[in-house]
Amino acid sequence: MTVRVQLPPLLRNMMGGERWLEADGNSVAAVLSDLGRKHPPLALHFFDEQGAVRHNIVCIHDGTLVRAHEAGVHQLHAGDELILTNALAGG
Amino acid sequence: MGVAVIVGTAKGAAILKSKDRKTWDMSFALRGWPVTASARDDTGRTYIAVNSPNFGVALFASDDDLTTWKQLDAAPRYRPEDRGNPEHHRLVAKMDFEGKLKGGGRFVDQIWTLHPAHGALYAGVSEAGLFVSRDRGESWQPIDGFNEQPGRESWAPGFGGLGLHTILTDAKNPNRMWVGVSAAGFFRTDDGGRTWSRKDDNVHSFGGNCVHHVAHDPENASVLFRQEHFGVYRSDDGGDTWRVMEDGLPVAEMSDGHRCSFGFPMIHDRKADASFVVPLDGDNFRFPRGGQLAVYRSTDGSSWHPLTNGLPGNCFAGVLRGSMAGDQQGGIYFGTTAGAIYASADLGESWTEIASDLPRIMSVEAYVT
Repeated sequence: MTVRVQLPPLLRNMMGGERWLEADGNSVAAVLSDLGRKHPPLALHFFDEQGAVRHNIVCIHDGTLVRAHEAGVHQLHAGDELILTNALAGG
Repeated sequence: MGVAVIVGTAKGAAILKSKDRKTWDMSFALRGWPVTASARDDTGRTYIAVNSPNFGVALFASDDDLTTWKQLDAAPRYRPEDRGNPEHHRLVAKMDFEGKLKGGGRFVDQIWTLHPAHGALYAGVSEAGLFVSRDRGESWQPIDGFNEQPGRESWAPGFGGLGLHTILTDAKNPNRMWVGVSAAGFFRTDDGGRTWSRKDDNVHSFGGNCVHHVAHDPENASVLFRQEHFGVYRSDDGGDTWRVMEDGLPVAEMSDGHRCSFGFPMIHDRKADASFVVPLDGDNFRFPRGGQLAVYRSTDGSSWHPLTNGLPGNCFAGVLRGSMAGDQQGGIYFGTTAGAIYASADLGESWTEIASDLPRIMSVEAYVT
């Protein structure tokens, strides 16, 4: 099952400026894992030493915010779009 | 003679190049990434280490004279079963929004230094650890003799965390190496990294030896110059014993009442056999005394002399431990936390500001090209 993933600007440079990548998986964690297999440098950015999705990574799926601890259970469907970003802080 | 200076900032790498060390061209690479260290190995490959609180630690390499950068597939990482230091976790927990550190794991949250030697590339990281790559950064192995030594769980972190920020090697003896950890102390191995011993005798401490930076000539490796939180020291026996070396340096009252010369970087120019420090007005203020930015140089290994020609008299910024470097041809370069870079082509006799208004400067390296 293929979905489209929009990379955050910080990670686009290492992908030759690509904004969107395609990946397979039925959950956010599975999609990130597939991206890491296809593009090994991205695996360093998505997963920590214990294999968990980095805790500041956030995805936006169909208008819903998906936090790292929900990445393994949040379901995706073929053709979905996932906006990959990070926990925001401002002021 | 051409020179390249890689300036690691909180938001990318400023790369300054000059053919005459008078006029400089600057480009800005790896936009958005905090750049914490860089190094060039004997093959001509240049490495830049980045970290992000969101996307972790990574290494980039350039094989084309700093023009293009490619992220390497690997970076230093601990094993899933490695346990972390509770005090380091407490310090870095402000970014741990979901309480992940409570699980007790050990994580690489920053590469503090990269050090090529004897055909290998070493990386010093926080949480404090030492890693080595023998294939130009393509894969990394932990040096367990250091990383797993008894007692690490009780090491006290410095203000910036528990970081291994200094690596020194002996050009004549590949089995001898030194590392500095804030604030666990200064360590030496004589058996290629299998066993390590603390080398902090006679060095003033207060709740742990907070070594800030140590420098030497790798060809004369046992003569060490050390900027400690509590003063400047010299050793002539590879760190077995130390003596205060502060003649000519400004001293300040420290937070524990001790009087000494406080600062962060310590570098050594091999050709001139000269050492350089940037004293700050003690650990209570951490900026140049009276706002006069000054580099101090020692050419006799015992006394220091101020060098201020061209440096500002109204500077209230600091200079971090990794933010000063020499090109080993008389060129000295350093950057401030306020984003200014100063260069000297005459061992500090005169200085020129070659870049300003950069983000906070975290690392500086310089190479003859």
